[in-house]
Amino acid sequence: MAGIWKEFAKGLWAELPPFRLLLGLCPVLAVTTKAENGLGMGVAVVFVITLSSFLVSFIRKIIPKKVRIACYITIAASLVVSVELLMQAYAYPLYQQLGIFVPLIVVNCLILGRAEAFAGKNPVHLAVADGLGMGIGFTLSLTFLGAVREILGTGEVFGVQVIGGSFEPVKFMVEAPGAFVALGLILAGMNWLAIVQAKRKGLPAPENPRTGCDACRACAGLK
Amino acid sequence: MREILKMIVVLTCIAGISGFALSSLKQVTAPTIELQLLTFVQGPSLKQVLPDYTNDPVQDRKKFTNPLTNKPVIVFPLKVDGQLKAIAVEGFGGGYGDNIGAMVGFNPENDSVVGVGITVQKETPGIGSRAFEPAFLDQFKGLSEADAKLKSDGGVVDAVSGATITSAGTAAAVQDAGKVYSALKDQIIAAFE
Repeated sequence: MAGIWKEFAKGLWAELPPFRLLLGLCPVLAVTTKAENGLGMGVAVVFVITLSSFLVSFIRKIIPKKVRIACYITIAASLVVSVELLMQAYAYPLYQQLGIFVPLIVVNCLILGRAEAFAGKNPVHLAVADGLGMGIGFTLSLTFLGAVREILGTGEVFGVQVIGGSFEPVKFMVEAPGAFVALGLILAGMNWLAIVQAKRKGLPAPENPRTGCDACRACAGLK
Repeated sequence: MREILKMIVVLTCIAGISGFALSSLKQVTAPTIELQLLTFVQGPSLKQVLPDYTNDPVQDRKKFTNPLTNKPVIVFPLKVDGQLKAIAVEGFGGGYGDNIGAMVGFNPENDSVVGVGITVQKETPGIGSRAFEPAFLDQFKGLSEADAKLKSDGGVVDAVSGATITSAGTAAAVQDAGKVYSALKDQIIAAFE
């Protein structure tokens, strides 16, 4: 039980996909013009990553090593097409907003990365916990980034006016360059937090950017 | 040899199962997706054609076969207080990025254009997309099919400068819808009256 929790929780902070592992940045930058879009994209990714982790882990002993990537991609692609069809059938306005980024989930390195680094080598219950944790971490990050951009860019979030009065919306934040600026500031904030935490524990400040294999603990459990 | 065989079998099985699952899912969701398209893509464009219709054109739609291409065409009747005011048909024309879809309403009495609404387009935002503003689209109102072309093609419509290809594509889409309408007019009117 503790193991499952550990694999689930690492995706929420220690290995938060877009802000710590810096994985799957393309949709992170592109769809977060609104908090709602970020949430929608995140839910689609949770669906794909959890099921693909489950399936990959489930048949990991049957898949021959040499064609494992082809197998993972086939599984991920099928799940993505299912998401696309379901979204078209039940959430068409969201599908219109996300557009090309829904089919592109298949090449999101987060999905293949988790299949290769974790699900292909761990039992089913841990793989599902890992996929779910990573997916939820991804969703929270996208929603947060989307909310920051939407609040600064339009003064609203989820359709509710947050800043009113004489606030002049910074239109720039909902355009493409705003995504880079907001992401950069969030990454800086994350690094600053890491330094403060290290100092409080009396450790030397972590080197930024951390280099080498140590930068990510994605495969730490395997050695 | 055994190894190669195993790879082929496993990959074929995975691909086969995936293909089967997806085609079943596609069949299950197809009717819902069609309804969603009607509600969110074609429905709103009908408001641009004739804003004050009082019936539910998506509900009243009928399918016909286009005699020119043998493909099915969906026709939407727009009624005001039970009176058939316009017959809306979707047409397509090549734009700068992919086809432009235009919902064109025709007046059944004199075959003139009632209004034009855009359904699908992938034109450059802010440049090509200026040809989808009322300033351009409203020019088509009241024109006969022969006049609903750009001036350079012998019609009376002014293209938007800087968005020439999009303007031409929109006009081509209107012409396309006009062809479908002329070919099916008698059938359509018989079906809706």
